[in-house]
Amino acid sequence: MIDWIAFVIVLVASLVGASVVVSAYALGLRLLTIGGRTPVVAPAEFTDAITVISPEEAARAAKRAQKAARKNPLTDAQKRLAVIGGYSCFGLSGLAVLYGIYLIVPAFHGG
Amino acid sequence: MDLTLIVVLVIALALFFDFTNGFHDTANAMATPIATGALRPKVAVALAAVLNLIGAFLSTEVAKTISGGLIKEGENGIFITPELIFAGLIGAITWNMVTWLLGLPSSSSHALFGGLIGAALVGFGIQAIDGGVVMSKIILPALLAPLTAGVVAFTATKLAYAITRRYDGRPDGRDGFRYAQVFSSSLVALAHGTNDAQKTMGVITLTLISVGAQPVGSGPEFWVIVTCAIAIALGTYMGGWRIIKTLGTGLTDVKPAQGFAAETSTAATILASSHLGFALSTTQVASGSVIGSGLGRRGSKVRWRTAGRIGIGWILTLPAAGGVGALAAVVATMGIAGVLIDAVGAAVIIGGIFLWSRRDEVSHRNILSEVADSGRAVKIKRNPKPKRKVTS
Repeated sequence: MIDWIAFVIVLVASLVGASVVVSAYALGLRLLTIGGRTPVVAPAEFTDAITVISPEEAARAAKRAQKAARKNPLTDAQKRLAVIGGYSCFGLSGLAVLYGIYLIVPAFHGG
Repeated sequence: MDLTLIVVLVIALALFFDFTNGFHDTANAMATPIATGALRPKVAVALAAVLNLIGAFLSTEVAKTISGGLIKEGENGIFITPELIFAGLIGAITWNMVTWLLGLPSSSSHALFGGLIGAALVGFGIQAIDGGVVMSKIILPALLAPLTAGVVAFTATKLAYAITRRYDGRPDGRDGFRYAQVFSSSLVALAHGTNDAQKTMGVITLTLISVGAQPVGSGPEFWVIVTCAIAIALGTYMGGWRIIKTLGTGLTDVKPAQGFAAETSTAATILASSHLGFALSTTQVASGSVIGSGLGRRGSKVRWRTAGRIGIGWILTLPAAGGVGALAAVVATMGIAGVLIDAVGAAVIIGGIFLWSRRDEVSHRNILSEVADSGRAVKIKRNPKPKRKVTS
């Protein structure tokens, strides 16, 4: 019949894998925001299903982010630390993507 | 029986199946980045096509298991004939076209298995089918795949929002998830390429083995790999816009953080399942992820009616593709005339569905515009502001 143990292993592995990658990236964004470098990424095409934001709205969001960054209570050193931390988090999720590619290509792990 | 004619027909049909597989499954990787605006629709399908092309060359492991294991040669004296493969492919393609017309994401592998099972039933009778194998390899995974992906995506979405949530109303930087979406969806597309083009390679190799053109147990020939890779890439580039629409906007409204969580969950679940020996369908995992991420974001709604339609499609996949496959097999086993009748019939069905689809065309130009237009027309209530938890 069905191999339930294999299924549970798959469930746990994918849960852990996805959680780690998403948490690392989210933490990276959080740290960038703390460090005063809030990323404002306008959609490539303004068709976002819910927040249909226009270029003007995107510009306003960028201005808001700058304003928030100016009012940042952190010292420069703290900000720098946060930004460095943020990029390391992105690096971590980048490594996870590389590991995914490693898993996809059988030549790398011998079938 | 003219073996070469039937072999050519099977290869042509198999490549067409590969093509439908490609445009059917573009949505798995690219529906969410298109919906959140992380990638332009055309760029997204081009990226997916290139990654599918590369993916097809990376591995031939799956092809070997299909050509070696799907139908047991010799064990009970059962030999699959090219006619039956031909009939099975007609069943699979018909079902893929119908679900595409209805905009339903459904598993192309299940359609292929369904068609082959139907054809084998006609060719060899009920004893050719192992009910236990069908249950454990196809039906139960179909239930478990969306469930697993849903749980994973729900958790990942909760985490993404919890970590980036700000109670002071300052910008939260969640836009930044758009960058990440490019990578996570690319990973899904690459994983898809390594898996799905293999199925067609396996079918063609199986055919070549069954007519004795290739030794038993050998892998796919190089020209088979190349043509399959090109067919799936072309199909992917065509983009099954109807299915992208369903998966990207029909199930739930996807935002960047959600989309990233859903794609990462899809990638993680597929990679885990293909490496830890519990194969799950990409389409079913991707649909489950989108629903899970919809449940995980506060203020978002999952449209269960659409989810229900998709579910009904999945239940019908095996019997429907099997039924058409069986019918085609009845005709095909009548000899060369039967095969030709089948080929013409398949061409008529494919052409008919294509013409039917032109009545309300969905393409990269109008894929999301309806939603976007209604969004501009109606003042949309923003997400409820998170309240700081009261600590006593």
